[in-house]
Amino acid sequence: MASIGDAELGVSTFCAASHQSEKCGANGLPLTPNSIRILGRFPVLKTLSHPRLCKYVDLVREKHERLIVVTEFYKTNLAAALRTSKYSDTSCLTTLAFEILSGLAYLNSRGFIHRNLSPQNILFDTKGFVKLANYGMYYMTDSGADVSFPIGLLKYMSPEVLAQGRVRVTSIDREYATGWKETRQLSHAPSSCKTDVWSLGIMLLEAFLGSPLWPNLTLQQIIHKILAFAKSKVDPIVLILSDHHGEEKFALLPNEIQSLISTCLTLSPKQRPMPIDLLSSSVFNALKSKEIPYSNGFSMFSTNLRCQDLEIPEYVEGTEEDHAKEEDLLSERSIHEVYYLWRLAGGDLVGALTKAGLVRTRPPITKIANFTLDDGEFFGEGRDRSTLLDCTVVILSQDQLRQRLKHVEPAAFYPLLEEEKNTALHLPISPSSGDLTDTSKLPLVIKERDVEYQFHRAILYERLLKAYPYKRHHIWKEARTDIPPFVRAEIWAALLEVEGDIQGTYDAIDKETPTATDRQIEVDIPRCHQYCELLSSPEGHEKFKRVLKAWVVSHPEYVYWQGLDSLCAPFLYLNFNNEALAYACFKAFIPKYLHKLFLKDNSKVIQEYLAVFSHLIAFHDAPLSNHLNTIGFIPDLYAIPWFLTMFAHAFPLHKLFHLWDTLLLGNSSFPLCIGVAILYQLRDQLLSFGFNECILLFSDMPEIDIERCVQDSIRIFCLTPKSATYRQHAKPSKREQKDSSSKPDVSYYSKDYNHQPLTDLSMHPVPLEDLRAQKCPFISAEDLIQLGELMGSSLTKSPTKKSASGKPLIIILDIRPTEDYLRGCVPGSINIPFDTAFNSDGDFLPSPAVTKLNVHKTQVKVVVGSRDRSAIKFAESLLRLGYNRACVLYKGVDVLRPTGILTVPTPDL
Amino acid sequence: MANQGGAQRPNGPQSKICQFKLVLLGESAVGKSSLVLRFVKGQFHEYQESTIGAAFLTQTVCLDDTTVKFEIWDTAGQERYHSLAPMYYRGAQAAIVVYDITNQDTFGRAKTWVRELQRQASPNIVIALAGNKADLANKRMVEYEEAQAYAEENSLLFMETSAKTAMNVNDIFLAIAKKLPKNEQAGQQQSRQRGVDLSQENQPSGGCCK
Repeated sequence: MASIGDAELGVSTFCAASHQSEKCGANGLPLTPNSIRILGRFPVLKTLSHPRLCKYVDLVREKHERLIVVTEFYKTNLAAALRTSKYSDTSCLTTLAFEILSGLAYLNSRGFIHRNLSPQNILFDTKGFVKLANYGMYYMTDSGADVSFPIGLLKYMSPEVLAQGRVRVTSIDREYATGWKETRQLSHAPSSCKTDVWSLGIMLLEAFLGSPLWPNLTLQQIIHKILAFAKSKVDPIVLILSDHHGEEKFALLPNEIQSLISTCLTLSPKQRPMPIDLLSSSVFNALKSKEIPYSNGFSMFSTNLRCQDLEIPEYVEGTEEDHAKEEDLLSERSIHEVYYLWRLAGGDLVGALTKAGLVRTRPPITKIANFTLDDGEFFGEGRDRSTLLDCTVVILSQDQLRQRLKHVEPAAFYPLLEEEKNTALHLPISPSSGDLTDTSKLPLVIKERDVEYQFHRAILYERLLKAYPYKRHHIWKEARTDIPPFVRAEIWAALLEVEGDIQGTYDAIDKETPTATDRQIEVDIPRCHQYCELLSSPEGHEKFKRVLKAWVVSHPEYVYWQGLDSLCAPFLYLNFNNEALAYACFKAFIPKYLHKLFLKDNSKVIQEYLAVFSHLIAFHDAPLSNHLNTIGFIPDLYAIPWFLTMFAHAFPLHKLFHLWDTLLLGNSSFPLCIGVAILYQLRDQLLSFGFNECILLFSDMPEIDIERCVQDSIRIFCLTPKSATYRQHAKPSKREQKDSSSKPDVSYYSKDYNHQPLTDLSMHPVPLEDLRAQKCPFISAEDLIQLGELMGSSLTKSPTKKSASGKPLIIILDIRPTEDYLRGCVPGSINIPFDTAFNSDGDFLPSPAVTKLNVHKTQVKVVVGSRDRSAIKFAESLLRLGYNRACVLYKGVDVLRPTGILTVPTPDL
Repeated sequence: MANQGGAQRPNGPQSKICQFKLVLLGESAVGKSSLVLRFVKGQFHEYQESTIGAAFLTQTVCLDDTTVKFEIWDTAGQERYHSLAPMYYRGAQAAIVVYDITNQDTFGRAKTWVRELQRQASPNIVIALAGNKADLANKRMVEYEEAQAYAEENSLLFMETSAKTAMNVNDIFLAIAKKLPKNEQAGQQQSRQRGVDLSQENQPSGGCCK
């Protein structure tokens, strides 16, 4: 992204045309407010980047259909400059024409036209180069259909535009497979790029003559004038010049420039050239040769060679003044980043506009109508003049932001990414807010509003992203601290290991041909996260549909299940301007967390998932599990939408972002832990509730503290032996273990159990019926060996942390008859023979072994038995008695025989 | 008034309480969840989210001397979730099959649901057919008479409803409540067997929860 340089941030405002109140569309839903339509079209404007254009930065929707536009802005414009006689100079005039045309040609190449050209919208940067402004109005308002004012100044409008009159919207109800829908149609075809050429002609003439045309005519007379051109046989240029007695002066201009201006003012749009045609004129040859080819910096997922055109600039010994300039390091940041920080530093758009008198609020009492009919129609309400268009641009002061960043060391703008240090984090020390490592430990909501913290994080991540995928390792590590909202889209893509020609892949997919799933997708999209303005806009719906269709079409082995829409929403929201990246992330996310869940028949996969989830609840919270089982509140009744959408159906986007920030660092079992964490947070309610209350609680997801939920799920994950979450339908291991060197092992919860090599001591598929029938999880022999440190403290596959004393956290309960136990058992195991363990009430009969068990009540209890089901029954008795963390050694004690671990116990046990 | 029997709490010590399981079925986006939301909470959300799997709500209506408590299972409409449906309608004493009056296909789908219920659900199940989105009558694609004739043929309760305007919403639930047998046994039996028994093996069709 190009840097902000010495540009200002400018803010202006306008109101979208409001619909008649209470009017509904053909499908019975309220009409989409025009402001939302505009909001949906806006984001693509942010991607337009050219040295002759002012960048669009943000569009904010306010009450009463008011929209606030933030753009790059400069104080000087052509309206002021043309009154100087500067442009009677041929070279100045040629340069002006050339620069405007370059901007227009770029817009055209991206499929846009300006349609709003006037001297007020031609700005000059501090070096005097042209910067076109306000070129997005026509596009974002759907050719002006969404606003009640005309786009452009009438004087600069071409005759064909004026002849068509005001654009009107007609809506037609059409029946689609999904039901009735309203289709918009505009009263006339949108303007072409040639209308801009006419406006350019008028402006060049004004610039050359050094004064505005027809200064004394009323608007009506000017319109008459322009429309009269159409009836006249004489060329417009001749008529205009004679109006202004400019013939003689004009004749002094070189012929080429004369003809440039007069061809601009060609009456017939058919014969009028396009900007690109005019640029090829020989007048501009000298200017073209001087032009530096423009490239829009760095793009993370591009197939182009990044350094192809890299030229190291010559080092020039700067003067004092230059040095002073270089000190303004903030100006090296992109305008989007500066704006993001500006807002964090307390920037207030509405405040700035109110101060400038552009947004006025009137006391509601002054808005009361004089006369109201029964049906709610009212009369005599004064026209609210504050909704009229005012093109004034207010400059947003960057003082406050600069003040906040005053103490930042220059070096912080260019952090070094040296080889990893041993410290977990190396955040810079900041004099104003102390050590940032302290800030990093604060709650997310605070961190995300801390301008200095976000500044450092954004810069660090931006540099890491530039080195992606080489610095993937580092990104993973940093993501464990937090992910700044500013770079979340890219970081997520990096965490999902998106690479390669994503645009090419996406473009190659047929997203248009109708398919059988279209109806379902079309009825689901208008219901998915619609509180989100972007996703509820027509533009958002179209993008949504394309991304979902692309996925369905490219995955013939899978089908569209309701829920995929929710799953797609966060990616689309984050990458609204980059469908290809949204798709690439979506595509990468599904196999990682939802392997096989979108199979046409996913019942076995879901059932296994839910069975493992039940085990996990039992493992971590025996009382809760017992209660839920007693009232019959089983996961099948509430958890399917959780897991099928990875909670995207359960939480609004802003919460989901924080949840997924961590989820993306976890493996495919991590979602199960999130599920347990949610139950854990609602534990007290659930324990006191009966079946109906429980299920009502989840019919509307209650308020969940996401940060707590994330912390709980990490804790739960760390306390779960990896094999306890084994699922046969999880994604199988990538045998080849590709590039194990570059694949980071930084996150102890990033490795999947399923990605480890299988041995005889590992888990193997358990029949679904058995899995559903049993209440406690299995643990594999290898986990037992590692957790119990039965073969020395080798590298453990399981994330379970060691206790501080270094002693294993598990206690092994051998439930075989004592004579078997004495013949050989796991060292350190306690023998509680199943047959004699319980009294008739199901309670433990007192024994030294039981006492020992109770001493170690919080530890993971591994029940070791023979091949029969008694170990499972024993673990379930532990669960029933309220013991947490009971699990069963998979395949029983026999599996340990070949390992040579079994020993004869010492007599004191 | 339409909502005379709406959200009333059981009153009077003499009233008898019956609990019934009711399931909503029908194509996606016909307004099943909206009907339930209107009936239970008196609300209407224009952008009601799609239901995944099923959602559950309860509501109580008073009928003369009886308090009828509905356990309402609102199912996902997508055809794919069909395999889950039996576990929701199994044991249900009532069903509302919903279609959208502005969409003929959804009426066809409703007929399929009725057939499936007649074949597979409890033999005494009370089935009501609801032609929803009646507020969009100017976009009507399914004639009232056509649906009524079909309902009569199959002895279904029938009403056109609008979750948006609340038209006939409480009425259809009340009509069902009236038609349900309210002997002591029915209510008693139900209150013991709450929820869904997923472990039940004798399922009607190849459901996913075997």
